[in-house]
Amino acid sequence: MVDRVLILAMALAGAGMLLALIRLLRGPNIPSRAVALDVLTLITMPVMVGLAITSGRVIYLDVALVYGILSFLGVISLARYFDQGV
Amino acid sequence: MIIVDILICLVLLAAGVGAMLQRNLVASSVLVGVVSLMVSILFLRIGAPDVAMTEAAIGAGLSTVIFLIAVRRTEEEEQ
Amino acid sequence: MKQIFSLALLAITGWLLWSLVPYGQATEPGPVSSHYIAHGLQENGGSNLVTSIVVNYRGFDTLGEVTVLFLSVAGAGFVLRRRSGQRRVAPRPSSEFVQTGARMLFAPMVLFGVYIFVHGHLTPGGGFQGGAVIASAVLMLLLADRDHHLPHGFMGWLESLAGFGYVLTGFLGLAIGGSFLANKGVLPLGQWNRLFSAGVIPIIYTLVGLKVGTELSTLLDVMVDSGRDHGEADAHGQKGGAA
Repeated sequence: MVDRVLILAMALAGAGMLLALIRLLRGPNIPSRAVALDVLTLITMPVMVGLAITSGRVIYLDVALVYGILSFLGVISLARYFDQGV
Repeated sequence: MIIVDILICLVLLAAGVGAMLQRNLVASSVLVGVVSLMVSILFLRIGAPDVAMTEAAIGAGLSTVIFLIAVRRTEEEEQ
Repeated sequence: MKQIFSLALLAITGWLLWSLVPYGQATEPGPVSSHYIAHGLQENGGSNLVTSIVVNYRGFDTLGEVTVLFLSVAGAGFVLRRRSGQRRVAPRPSSEFVQTGARMLFAPMVLFGVYIFVHGHLTPGGGFQGGAVIASAVLMLLLADRDHHLPHGFMGWLESLAGFGYVLTGFLGLAIGGSFLANKGVLPLGQWNRLFSAGVIPIIYTLVGLKVGTELSTLLDVMVDSGRDHGEADAHGQKGGAA
């Protein structure tokens, strides 16, 4: 039961990654690429937690925590770049 | 689980080639950030959590910001 | 033309690496690695084998790495400093969301960085990762509040004291344990998986974490700040400091 739900969750995350990749490559200007980067970092966190569940190690969750806390800094700095802030 | 590996490698390759072929340097730095993110997941996949955490801590915020500051101080288009 | 050439070079390098390096095949560990795997836990007392290798078995290389980091940040800070007579357009103040969020999130981020390097011998992480997280927290403050001044004197003293403390710990190991940066006999090894265990390793990683955190924060402050006019009129004719 857990295996099937996990496979479904990973499949959905993979589909989200593909859609974000399309926007990343095709985006005509840079803010759309910044939004795609944000979506990719948001999807990465559940993928890391899913890897922690399948391999059965609790220590993998720390990496997901680090990414969850730090990922928004890149998007803020991009936004400040366009706002003449950096 | 092999399908996760293939997907991540696909995104990695696409972002890497895209970072090389772009003319605008800010877009290239965004794509390099995506490459760093995918490499971090791959490190976790092959069982190296210390290296994955280092890559996450440096590639998530610091690397992109340093690239952006450097691009702001110099030119934006590659000749 | 240049791009096609680089793509072809990339493909050839990838094919060469694929055929020459045995990826994914389990190879037998050599004599040194077997010793580390077999005796790493009882000689060091920490759960994280990577940390005990980095700090204890290869501790001298870590000291060299910390020195290289210090030299590179000093060089970059010297080159990127604002010269007298340089001015740049002062940035617009950031929105209310970013300012409030940055002030709320600063303390948990620094706490998280301290958690990472204090627990370096138990969970994945260590001094360098914790220092990078602390520097990211300071970067968030710098991005949100354009008039934020970092106390450069205090951070310089903290960084130098942390580096000095690392060398002092090495000499303490020389005096008590018999070799530079020794782990036996300086502090008790303690029980497995407790916070106060693994001898000198938590102390060394705390010092490294503080040093790397303050170093990278100073570098980021110099890079963001280069050309900012403190208190002088900026290009729009307004006084700096009006939020």
